[in-house]
Amino acid sequence: MYYPEPTTIWESIQYSPLGIFIAESTWAFPTIETIHVIALVTVLGTIFVMDLRLLGVASKNYPITSMSRDTLKWTWGGFVLAAITGTLLYISKTSSYMINPFFMGKMVLLAIAGLNMAYFHFVTWKTVANWDTSPVVPTGAKVAGITSLIFWITIVFFGRAIGFTLGIYDCYMVGQGDDGFIVSMLAGIACAGA
Amino acid sequence: MGDLLFNLTDWMRGTVLLDWAFWMQETAFSLFMVENFWNVPIAQAIHILAIGAAFGSVLMVVLRVNGMAGAGLTFEQTAARFVPWVRWGLLVIVLSGLSMIMAEPVRNMINAVFWIKMIALIVMVLVSLSWIKSIRASAEAAGVGYVGAGGAKATGWLIMALWCLIIVCGRWIAYVPV
Repeated sequence: MYYPEPTTIWESIQYSPLGIFIAESTWAFPTIETIHVIALVTVLGTIFVMDLRLLGVASKNYPITSMSRDTLKWTWGGFVLAAITGTLLYISKTSSYMINPFFMGKMVLLAIAGLNMAYFHFVTWKTVANWDTSPVVPTGAKVAGITSLIFWITIVFFGRAIGFTLGIYDCYMVGQGDDGFIVSMLAGIACAGA
Repeated sequence: MGDLLFNLTDWMRGTVLLDWAFWMQETAFSLFMVENFWNVPIAQAIHILAIGAAFGSVLMVVLRVNGMAGAGLTFEQTAARFVPWVRWGLLVIVLSGLSMIMAEPVRNMINAVFWIKMIALIVMVLVSLSWIKSIRASAEAAGVGYVGAGGAKATGWLIMALWCLIIVCGRWIAYVPV
C-alpha cells in the first residue's frame, strides 16, 4: 500500500513499520485492544477497592496498609500493561489521536490521576501508622480517594469517546476559523508542518 | 476459526433471531439509544466501569482463597465485603449490556461471538456460585487461617480466565467477520 511522505512527527510515527503493521493487520489492533481492556479493568477494579476503603465506604475494619499491599501490585501490573498496549494502539494512528480532544483530555486526566496518587503515597501516606486500622481516615486521604474515583470514571468515558470520534477531527477539516478553542489548539500541535 | 464463526453467523441470519432483532430495532427504547450520538458510548463506559468493579472484587476473593490477599480475614469476611459488589456489578453489566444490544440488535443478535459470550457468562456465573458454596462449607472451621485446597485455588483462576474470555468476546463482537 502507498503511504504519503510524513509531514509531521506524528505521521512519521504512524508510518513507521510497526505503526503500519498494526494498522493493516486484521488481528493486531483488536488483539492489542482486548489486552488493553483486560489490563484497564484490573487497574479500575483494584483502584476502586482501595478508594472505597479510603472513603470509609467498604472494608472499614481492614488495615489500609494491608489493602494497599493486596491491591497495589495488581494496579501497577495492570497499568504497565495498559500503557504498553495503549502506546501500540496510539502508534497505529498517531496523527488522528493527536488531534482528538478526548485522547488529549484522557492523557491530561491520566497525568493528574498519577500526580494525585503520587501526592497520596509520598505525602499523605507518611502518617498512615496513625490511621491504618481506623475506619475514619484523614481528610487528605479521603480527598485522594474521591479524586481518584472521579478521574478514573472520567478517563473510562474519554477512552470510550475516542473510539467513537477518531477520524472526526482532521488537519484538513480544522482551522477554518469556526472550531472551538481546544480543537484549534490541538490542531496547532497535531498539524504543525502539515 | 474466522470461517467457522462466519458460517455460524450466516446460519443465524436464517433463524428467528433475525426477526427478533428487527422487532427490537423498532422499539421506542432502541430508537432512543440511537437518536443521541452519546447514548451508546455512555452505556459502554458504564458497562466497563461495572466490569471493573466486579472484576476487581472477584480478583480479591480469588486472591484470598489463594492466600495472596485478605490476611487476617476469614473467607466469610472477604466474601461479605466483595460478593455483593460482584452481584450488583453484574446487574449493572447486564442492564447496560441490554441497552447496548437494543441499540444495535442485528449487530449483536446475528453474531456468533455474541452468543459465545453469553454462554461463557452463564458458565462463569454457575461455576462461581458452586465455587463459593463449596468453599463456604469448608472454610468456616479454618477461620482466619483458611487457604483453599488445590482445586479451589485453581477454580478461582479458572473463573478469572472466564471473565477474561467474556471480555475477549465482548471486544471481538465488533471485529469478527459477519
